[in-house]
Amino acid sequence: MKSRSLRWQFLLPAILLAGLLVLPEVGLSPNALRLLFVSFVWIIASLAWNLLGGYAGQVSFGFAVFNGIGAYVAAMLIDNGRLHPYLAFLAAGVAAAIASVLIGLPTFRLRGPYFAIATIGVSEAIRVVATNVDFTGGASGYRITESRQFNQLEHYYCAMFVAAVAVATTYLISRHKFGLGLMAINQDEDAAADSGVNPFAYKLKAHAIAAFFTGIAGGLFARYAAYIHPNGVFGFHNSVQILLMPVIGGLGTVWGPVLGGVVVGVIEEEIVAYFPQAHLLIYGGLLIIIVLFEPGGIVGGLRRLARWIRRVLERGPGTPAADTPSEQADEVLWGTGSGPGR
Amino acid sequence: MNKLTKFFGGLAAVRDVSFEVRRGQIFGFIGPNGAGKTTLFSMIAGAQKPTSGQIICRGKDVTGLRSFRLIHEGIARTHQVVRPFRNMTVLENVEVGAYFGRQGADHKSVPEKAMEILRSVGLQDYADTPAYVLSVGNHKKLEVARALATGPEILLCDEICGGLTHAETAAMLELLRQIRDRGVTILYVEHDVKAITAICDRILVLNYGQKLAEDTPEQVQLDPAVIEAYLGVAPKGWDNA
Repeated sequence: MKSRSLRWQFLLPAILLAGLLVLPEVGLSPNALRLLFVSFVWIIASLAWNLLGGYAGQVSFGFAVFNGIGAYVAAMLIDNGRLHPYLAFLAAGVAAAIASVLIGLPTFRLRGPYFAIATIGVSEAIRVVATNVDFTGGASGYRITESRQFNQLEHYYCAMFVAAVAVATTYLISRHKFGLGLMAINQDEDAAADSGVNPFAYKLKAHAIAAFFTGIAGGLFARYAAYIHPNGVFGFHNSVQILLMPVIGGLGTVWGPVLGGVVVGVIEEEIVAYFPQAHLLIYGGLLIIIVLFEPGGIVGGLRRLARWIRRVLERGPGTPAADTPSEQADEVLWGTGSGPGR
Repeated sequence: MNKLTKFFGGLAAVRDVSFEVRRGQIFGFIGPNGAGKTTLFSMIAGAQKPTSGQIICRGKDVTGLRSFRLIHEGIARTHQVVRPFRNMTVLENVEVGAYFGRQGADHKSVPEKAMEILRSVGLQDYADTPAYVLSVGNHKKLEVARALATGPEILLCDEICGGLTHAETAAMLELLRQIRDRGVTILYVEHDVKAITAICDRILVLNYGQKLAEDTPEQVQLDPAVIEAYLGVAPKGWDNA
């Protein structure tokens, strides 16, 4: 039983990955490619936020900062062929990670809602500064000129690769010491410290890893769009969107943020095109539904569905279903932390 | 411990309390409400910094170290109001202690080690249950298990029998004895005088933040100053009556 579920755990992602690898060869419209590319970029940021917000329970409203820093560092390095784009992406991630430490040092002294509010303040301050300095292009933005020809497939594979790395990283973290420490901090920071976890150091590390990936996501987007401006990449709506994806998909799980990223990517690309501003309404509605009915997000809902199906199958004629304690194990409580996705 | 003092504003919650605990002892703190037991305890556990004084553990000054550093000095605590990682399983709770404890442990040995500790406190049947469904008695056991998993030399127990039934208290005291017999020193704060005199090798009595007496349980109970603190002054002629 156990080994079978374990085999599926690796088999399904492998099939998915293989499918995504060959899909463009089979033939995809440029529009579909773009939709997938955008989804990959969102998935990266979503998985990153989930490390800090889902596993460690530190709700940040400031991830636009890392998105913006990544976008600008990559843009300036790629522009006029100063550096190979892949190296530029790496530099974007590192720059965002460094910024995350500088932001984390003061803000992680705060807890819960106070931390969340502080991240809003920091990110808005950085956005305002970015709109008012010259090297970002100010409010009129920054255009990237690349000597090599635009190759949509390369963008696609590049984003897919980083997204796959982000999934693998999340999976490994969730199954090892680091993830366990983050979950302990999520549940009770003081008790975690009393058990030997250094909460401050752990939060800083999770923040840095998350910022690294978010920075790369920003860089990927910047190169694809070839034009960025501070109010776009540093915008507060980015922070909210990055936070919403794992919440919609399922906090503290590996696949929740992926599903959330797809949902947001599709909404963003398909619905906004026809109904500008409608996405806000949709996000608001989704959020209310999830917080009220399924705090575990899509993954929580799927788990519940799977349990229900199993119960119906096992029940057979005349034997009542028993509620076992392990069923409650998957219940996820918003605020008191997430059900660990182990 | 040396001349430990803690001021809250102008109020001395604990004043100049000094004592020494020997390896392998169960050392108890008692005292009436507000005597400073909890303050003293939380200073030793690293939750509060003493205003003055020193805490020496095995020749090393550990005064004011944060609790996760104390774990590496071999000092672990349990909580009076239990603080499990609620949504994690009982086994995972103990795994946290094992991973982040003094010896550290690798990925393979941790679940095994955690399971062994669960067996030693009698929680093995609950390994895969989420911690929040446990009863009070089992929560207290989980507190002990998680602290033990860090591999402590000194275990600080804060009212570990509070809220337990008589049978549970007896079982818990037996557990503490077993832990002591494995060479772990135990510092024990308890409200319940009966529990503490039953198990401790030495007892320190606090009153108004000061040390009133320190002796074996038998001697402490006979100490007139202790009787006075707990029962008030005997009225004149009481002895004759």
